[in-house]
Amino acid sequence: MSARLFPSQEIGSLQKPSLEALREWEDRVHFLSRLSPIPEEVLRHPDLGTLQNLRAAFSIAYLESAGLDRVYDGEARRVEMYEYAVRQMTGFQFQGHVRSWDSKYYRKGTVVNRVDLIAPYHLEEFDFVRAHARAAVKLPITGPYTLADWSYDEYYLARQPGWKGRPQRRAAQREFVVDLARRVLRPTLQKLIEHGCRVIQIDEPAAGTHPDEAPLVVEGFNEATQGLDAEFSMHICYSRYQDLLPALLEAKACRQWAWEFANRDAEGHDGYEVLKLLREYSDTRSIGLGVLDVHRDTLETPEQVAERIRRAAKYLGDPSKIWVNPDCGLRTRSLNVAYAKLEAMVAGAALARSEFEGLET
Amino acid sequence: MGSNRPIYAGLTSPFPRPERLVAATRDLDRGRTTPELAEKAFVEAESELLALEERLFSNVTAGYLRWNDLFRPIAESWVGFTVGPLTRWLETNTFFRQPILSAPPRRTAGAIASRLPPPLATRTSTARVLLPGPYTFTQVLENRSGASEFEVLLSLGRLLGDEIRDLGGLGYRVFQFSDPILVTDPPEGPAETAVLQAYQSIADAQPAATTVVWTFGAGAGPALPLLDRLPVSVVGIDLTDTEPEALRPGPERLGLGLGIIDPRTTLPETLGDTVGVVREALRRRPSASVWLGPGAPLDLLPARPAEQKLLRLSDVRHTLLREGVA
Repeated sequence: MSARLFPSQEIGSLQKPSLEALREWEDRVHFLSRLSPIPEEVLRHPDLGTLQNLRAAFSIAYLESAGLDRVYDGEARRVEMYEYAVRQMTGFQFQGHVRSWDSKYYRKGTVVNRVDLIAPYHLEEFDFVRAHARAAVKLPITGPYTLADWSYDEYYLARQPGWKGRPQRRAAQREFVVDLARRVLRPTLQKLIEHGCRVIQIDEPAAGTHPDEAPLVVEGFNEATQGLDAEFSMHICYSRYQDLLPALLEAKACRQWAWEFANRDAEGHDGYEVLKLLREYSDTRSIGLGVLDVHRDTLETPEQVAERIRRAAKYLGDPSKIWVNPDCGLRTRSLNVAYAKLEAMVAGAALARSEFEGLET
Repeated sequence: MGSNRPIYAGLTSPFPRPERLVAATRDLDRGRTTPELAEKAFVEAESELLALEERLFSNVTAGYLRWNDLFRPIAESWVGFTVGPLTRWLETNTFFRQPILSAPPRRTAGAIASRLPPPLATRTSTARVLLPGPYTFTQVLENRSGASEFEVLLSLGRLLGDEIRDLGGLGYRVFQFSDPILVTDPPEGPAETAVLQAYQSIADAQPAATTVVWTFGAGAGPALPLLDRLPVSVVGIDLTDTEPEALRPGPERLGLGLGIIDPRTTLPETLGDTVGVVREALRRRPSASVWLGPGAPLDLLPARPAEQKLLRLSDVRHTLLREGVA
């Protein structure tokens, strides 16, 4: 738990700014001063490594300037959360793009051999963030269940005999998830912890895809974190959380649920009511409360954020459990819109904090 | 030795956008290309897919590449609807915009016809028109209309019936209603009665049409008693989710649709196993006609492996036609 009520945190990726955008934002968030001096000529024509450093430093300063208590680098060095991770492994081939919605796509890999880790990843980016951040740092990493669910399987499934019906797919999926957790995630997490990484968010956005596989999500989480000491959280979004409970509660090392709620919170529909279940199950973990809808440009107001926090606090029965964050990564929003949303989130948390602290005195 | 019963095969969902179209639509989204160049990419992709379908199958779709999701054409064009938040599409990593119904729904005449893939307008007799099934549509929408869920379901049945009557007037003959929630969350009691009434409205509106209900996402076994009572021409079930042992004989009037291509894996279906599972299904549930297709939506795959799977689908059909189904 945090000493201050309703601390704020990032949750995922930000839009990757162009050079022009970086120049414009320098006046607002002053990120260049965090880096060693870069010659003007290099700034005009940076190589990829320099550009990634610029973007990472910008994202850290951007999130801190918006007032967040826990930050990262907007995943500035990652193509996206799936492809970047899979490229750190052997056993995969990429096939092409799959539509997520409208004209948003992601590249999906096929596992064609038993997965293995090339080398632990995210170390360099974590070292950079820790060296350049003033706020606390939280590292997001894609979880084993999501990596398996977002892949096509030609290796583990082919080992199942005959027609590939549901039972065969299930058995293959379990082998795949456990291999990813043991052979890829665990050694990577271990190395990150050795580097000083203390707060780690394991992203499992696919967890809600097959609710009856929630025990497998948990098995992957437990296998990945077994024997490791860090403050782990689990991020899940766009899911019916009630369908995943109580299975999720068996995630032993998880100390926080970072979930999306604002997307489903509309007039006539209370997106936060599902939190009652955590109280009913006497779950003591903190909650990363999604208070910003990341798929719409409409700006939340501080009052709206504060009202969402109040409602969540009522359902949980304990305001000290609540961190606030966007529903998910803000990469589909422009930097201007994302910044305004984050400012509203921080202001809304402050508003709610003042109300609750007023009640306490 | 060959089969005397008609065996059809074809797409049962939108086809994935080919890589060139992915690039064009992304560029359009980011302001890096013009609407004219993006349109050119759509036309080329539709034309290439159509050529493949016409070579392999008797029904064509041109891929429905322009549709953002199954519900959007209606949500964007019919009165009473608006387009709502991103929502997960069943157990997949794809999302649709939830339709929000704020008033009694009304059709906008001609709106769906204008949103069908343009090449279908000159191939109406072989086109397969994709529409949302009334039950799934009712289940996924946010109902703020004040009407009960059953009233909405019955309204949608009537409106979809009116729609296929109009489309029938343009020459379209085959209509597929994608209704996966009939098997993922089967209706019971009064809801079951309302589903039957909704489909009766569709059947009454265009009795000469071939109507296909396509289900996927879960085993169809528990829903078969209802599916058998639907007043449609063909009931489609996904064999990649339904164990053949769950099948039992159905009414003679019903054609049997079998989803035999699994878009959740790029692993190609083996010809022998796939032909075998079709034969097993038909042994347990004999049918006068067979409609083969992908089970779940094929656009869960990238375009290239999807194309390979269409070729395999055609191979299965030809093997069954040549060697018989027994």
